[in-house]
Amino acid sequence: MNMEIKKPNEQENTLEIKNLVIHYISDEEVVKAVNGVNIIIKAGKTLGLVGETGAGKTTTALSILNLVPEPQGKILSGEVLLEGRSVLAMSDLELEAIRGDKVAMIFQDPMTSLNPVHTVGDQIAESIEIHRKVSRQEALKQAKEMLELVGIPSERSNEYPFQFSGGMKQRVVIAIALTCNPTLLIADEPTTALDVTIQAQVLKLINELRQKYHMSMLMITHDLGIVAEVCDEVSIAYAGRIIEHGTLEDIFDHMRHPYTKGLFDALPDIGARRSELKPVKGLMPDPTNLPPGCPFHPRCDYVMEVCSQSVPENKWLSETHCVECHLYKDSNESMLKEVLL
Amino acid sequence: MDETIAKYTTRKGFFKQYKKKSRLEEIWNRFLRNKLAVVGLVIFVFIILVAILAPLIANYDTEAIRVNVPNRLHSPSAAHIFGTDELGRDIMARIVHGARISLVVGCAAIAFALFVGGALGAIAGYSGGKIDDVIMRCMDVFLCLPDVLLALAIVAAFGTNLVNLTIAIGLAFTPKFSRLVRSAVMTVRGIEYVEAARAIGATNTRIIANHVLINCFGPIMVQVTLYVANAILTISALSFIGLGIQAPIPEWGNMLASGRVYMRDYAYIVIAPGMAIFMTILSLNLLGDGLRDALDPRLK
Repeated sequence: MNMEIKKPNEQENTLEIKNLVIHYISDEEVVKAVNGVNIIIKAGKTLGLVGETGAGKTTTALSILNLVPEPQGKILSGEVLLEGRSVLAMSDLELEAIRGDKVAMIFQDPMTSLNPVHTVGDQIAESIEIHRKVSRQEALKQAKEMLELVGIPSERSNEYPFQFSGGMKQRVVIAIALTCNPTLLIADEPTTALDVTIQAQVLKLINELRQKYHMSMLMITHDLGIVAEVCDEVSIAYAGRIIEHGTLEDIFDHMRHPYTKGLFDALPDIGARRSELKPVKGLMPDPTNLPPGCPFHPRCDYVMEVCSQSVPENKWLSETHCVECHLYKDSNESMLKEVLL
Repeated sequence: MDETIAKYTTRKGFFKQYKKKSRLEEIWNRFLRNKLAVVGLVIFVFIILVAILAPLIANYDTEAIRVNVPNRLHSPSAAHIFGTDELGRDIMARIVHGARISLVVGCAAIAFALFVGGALGAIAGYSGGKIDDVIMRCMDVFLCLPDVLLALAIVAAFGTNLVNLTIAIGLAFTPKFSRLVRSAVMTVRGIEYVEAARAIGATNTRIIANHVLINCFGPIMVQVTLYVANAILTISALSFIGLGIQAPIPEWGNMLASGRVYMRDYAYIVIAPGMAIFMTILSLNLLGDGLRDALDPRLK
């Protein structure tokens, strides 16, 4: 029982989010979007952040750039450390310097994240102009190189976003994100707006470029298939908390949290086409009115009395795998090898 | 032969073939399809040309200003196309030179309003919250007064000269532009590309200038043309009641005012300046409507 499992080494972490709490406060209500999120991304690694709509994934991502929409969005507590420096304590000037340079973001919808009145070349060059002291010609030249890199002929740099297809626009967005060679790339559901074939191409592109430039990446998605393809580690978000975290293997083969299990059970099985889908029963709790205790307990098949009374603590099951669930309060690694949820 | 094949098979040639029309070209083509708008544009360009070429058409000192009593109240003829007024001045010469004043003051006043009001509106719309409240409530106060009245008050307080008149009319239109720009900015502000611009580290000034305002260009341009018409009307109105451009400087409004005494017997004396005002306003309105349709094809 006294197996003290050491938490992962805190050095060489590109990103560390500690106990982050973000609420959206308006006159009528308080939306508890993020309620104590802990995330660590090691240098060069990819973390997948998985969860339903409204689990606080995007809000967490925005906090990394300190871009949580003002004035409703309030970061109440917690720390966001980017290579050891606190993002939340930075001045506007410092923030502007890291945005797009150290941390870049790929947005969900390429149709709206490109400005319709500027040519794609100009939009890629803008990031270079802001962060590198180069002339406009030089920036445009580099922008063309970036276009080639994402597989678009550089001749098209003088064209406008509406002249591109959805997949190509997302490539442009990726080019913008990668121009300044960021250490951390945040991909906020980069493929949700694209069809499956293009999805595969775009994912492959992101993955190749990421490896080529040794970037860390935070991949936000609700598609477990994407996670399996590109991520090294996975965090499962639920109602603004990370309820389970582990390596790809930990989560996909040894999932512990009932919610994680529910997510995997809900996937259709190509071998059993006639079998019914098994959704997680119930709905995501209303973020303005979270249930007491573990936010998942009203939907949980293994609910106990304690679940509605206290929030489960973060329990490290192995060096890489942790879970927030009362079921594992007193268990350790060896016990779990026998009990399979 | 080989060269043509090479031209179309190389990547460059291929993409040249498929190069689409630019945005401006498309807007221009849509604009041309609207016949009324083209008529408006033609009339307005004609008026501008007349204003620019005024000294070539008629001599300012001898024909538009100098009193020539023996010549008074001549009906339209080959020598005086629109006739002469009660002091024997050629009405055509006065209208042509009056166009200069109307256009310059109208455009300058709107430019002033656009600059001041636009800046205030952009700041209010982009920052929101308290700043927005303070700026917009101040604008609301000005908006309560009819623009002629506001301009009137300013001119009455500071005296009537060309600069004061321009500023007065400009100020009267400032709140309208601040409203317009504010609402346009607020619509654009929420779109993802503005967030994307912040995410690449663009400063607020850069975002407002480079991403927000440029996307509001369409509606602002439309309103500018319509408000220039309004401003010209306001100048004429002020001149008509004697607080605008002062005699003997020719201006359409004061021509109307001085001519109205003779209206019963010599109707042409007021018809010509009246028509000048009418055509200018009409052309600007047609132009503005056409621009709006061309810029936003979904509106129709």
